[in-house]
Amino acid sequence: MNAAAIWALIQKDARLYFANRLFALVTVLGLVAYAAIYFLLPATVDETLKVGLVIPEMPPALAEALADDAVVVKQFASAADLRAAVAAGEVTVGFAFPPDLFDQLRQGSRPAVELLLAPEVTPDVVGVYEAAARELSFTLAGQALPVTISEVILGPDLAGAQIAPRQRMLPLFAVLVLMVECLGLASLIAAEVEQGTIRALLVTPLTMRGLFVAKSLFGSLFAFVQAVILLAVTGGLAQAPLLNLTALLIGSVLMTGVAFLIASLGRDLMSVMGWGMLALLIMALPTFTVLIPGLAADWVRLIPTHYLVDTIYRSLNFGAGWAEVGGNLLPLAASALLLLALGMAILQRRFA
Amino acid sequence: MPEPAIVAEELTYRYGDLLAVDHISFTVSPGEILGFLGPNGAGKSTTVKMLTGQLRPASGRALLLGIDVARHPKQVQARIGVCFEQPNLYEELSGVDNLRLFAKLFGVRDVDVNALLRRVGLDGRGADLVGRYSKGMKQRLMIARALVNRPDILFLDEPTEGLDPTSAEAIRRVILEEQQRGATIFLTTHDMYEADRLCNRVAFINSGKIVALDTPHNLKQQYGKRMVRAEVVGSDGKLFTREIILDRPETPAEIADLLAHHQVVTLHSEEATLEDIFIRLTGRGLA
Repeated sequence: MNAAAIWALIQKDARLYFANRLFALVTVLGLVAYAAIYFLLPATVDETLKVGLVIPEMPPALAEALADDAVVVKQFASAADLRAAVAAGEVTVGFAFPPDLFDQLRQGSRPAVELLLAPEVTPDVVGVYEAAARELSFTLAGQALPVTISEVILGPDLAGAQIAPRQRMLPLFAVLVLMVECLGLASLIAAEVEQGTIRALLVTPLTMRGLFVAKSLFGSLFAFVQAVILLAVTGGLAQAPLLNLTALLIGSVLMTGVAFLIASLGRDLMSVMGWGMLALLIMALPTFTVLIPGLAADWVRLIPTHYLVDTIYRSLNFGAGWAEVGGNLLPLAASALLLLALGMAILQRRFA
Repeated sequence: MPEPAIVAEELTYRYGDLLAVDHISFTVSPGEILGFLGPNGAGKSTTVKMLTGQLRPASGRALLLGIDVARHPKQVQARIGVCFEQPNLYEELSGVDNLRLFAKLFGVRDVDVNALLRRVGLDGRGADLVGRYSKGMKQRLMIARALVNRPDILFLDEPTEGLDPTSAEAIRRVILEEQQRGATIFLTTHDMYEADRLCNRVAFINSGKIVALDTPHNLKQQYGKRMVRAEVVGSDGKLFTREIILDRPETPAEIADLLAHHQVVTLHSEEATLEDIFIRLTGRGLA
């Protein structure tokens, strides 16, 4: 293989990439936008629960029960005031006890307690608040359950150290950066086939292998550099830099393989975009499981980017190192090489 | 006798059930221009692809400069230049950058791209993006690209197809210059005038087979019909055309009679064109 020829092709592809205004714009703006969104997102998580109460008087027992750093209690004069506060998001949940609560309790009747919730509260949480309302009612009636509850956190205790939204988003940004470059590379290759320049290249001393090496190097390094810039800007390289750089490099090779496959399917820019969007959706799925943990399912492990996202997410947010997530790199590398080989084989048939 | 620059031995290629090239054999001498003539789908481009290492023959073999193309395509491709029928340049790069890229692919360090551009009439336009070039300019840049490695053999696929007369003439001039330099040229074309003017020999290919291969002169001698055509004023005052076949015993008397007893308005010698011969040999035209 002629190194000078490969370098000439890499330079040519870089110039063609930036000659395409769409990709040039998306590349530059993408990096800036991801970094900007990262810094605009909250850096901390508000862990306090704001509770609104309408209650004739606050008995000491209840005040003691609610005395917790994580709970902020605000009293309101009427149920109407409390409703307005819940609707405005001023408090998360409201408990409106009737003004004659204690009279009703003394008379042995059954007071009605109004539980006020914001519309986005999910059914499982509604159940929790209902239980809390009963517990508060017991406490107000002087009948607190004689039990002691101890808390056991399985896994890292994130109380006071919840993962900020920006940190959850970072793996998604990294995958998006890699995917944009993947689409760019795929469209470059599709254009080479469509415009016939590939034929001109291959009647020179340049071999098919040399051509693929040049494309792979360009695609992988270009994507890698951008992902590294993003992580560096957002401070992501402060934690386990070697591990994250290795994961990103393998992820870049993986995306280059995906780009080869997309290019082998796409005949023009539009079809490349169509196939690319499908690939992007699939490859980005594992990042959604990080954003919404309940979404995680075993089949997500079949998507190679899971191993990239999991590595970055756990190392950045839980301090995981080689011992904990290093094992991810093996399936990531294996799938990257598999996709790269498959993409090359199919593209080679298209070039012939 | 020098070794042929191109040797095709029983070259054959199939696209599925279609026999595109059917056991064709020929040789091309160093410094010769061979015209490869035939209608669309006759097998011209497939033959070029086999000769340039883009396709592997189903059977037979091609030797270029004594090297087996199928076995050592890259050795061969390092010494040839190929100009494709359809422009396949990097339109987002300048003319100069297109040439420099291919010079690097060929490992040519001392190429004077401006001199190349001057040769094909593109001096002063090298810095422009190729996307802004006209069709004729792109075709001329394709020729320049094919010359970037000073090839021993030049393959030109319909190099003047659809071009304006100025661009076509510029390309024909470069072809003749390359021949003078010593390059062997394999030219596929529809243009009979071009083939007649440029080629030392022409091959007619039809349905994947070579039906004739010789110099234009010999083909015309062998297959043509020499005659004179006269426009004559008839006794009723109207013009009519009279054709007299040459090379017959009675021809001199017929011409003498024509001149002596008729009012001749025009008199032209006629010879068969390569297209006439092709139609005669294949029963179809070149278009």
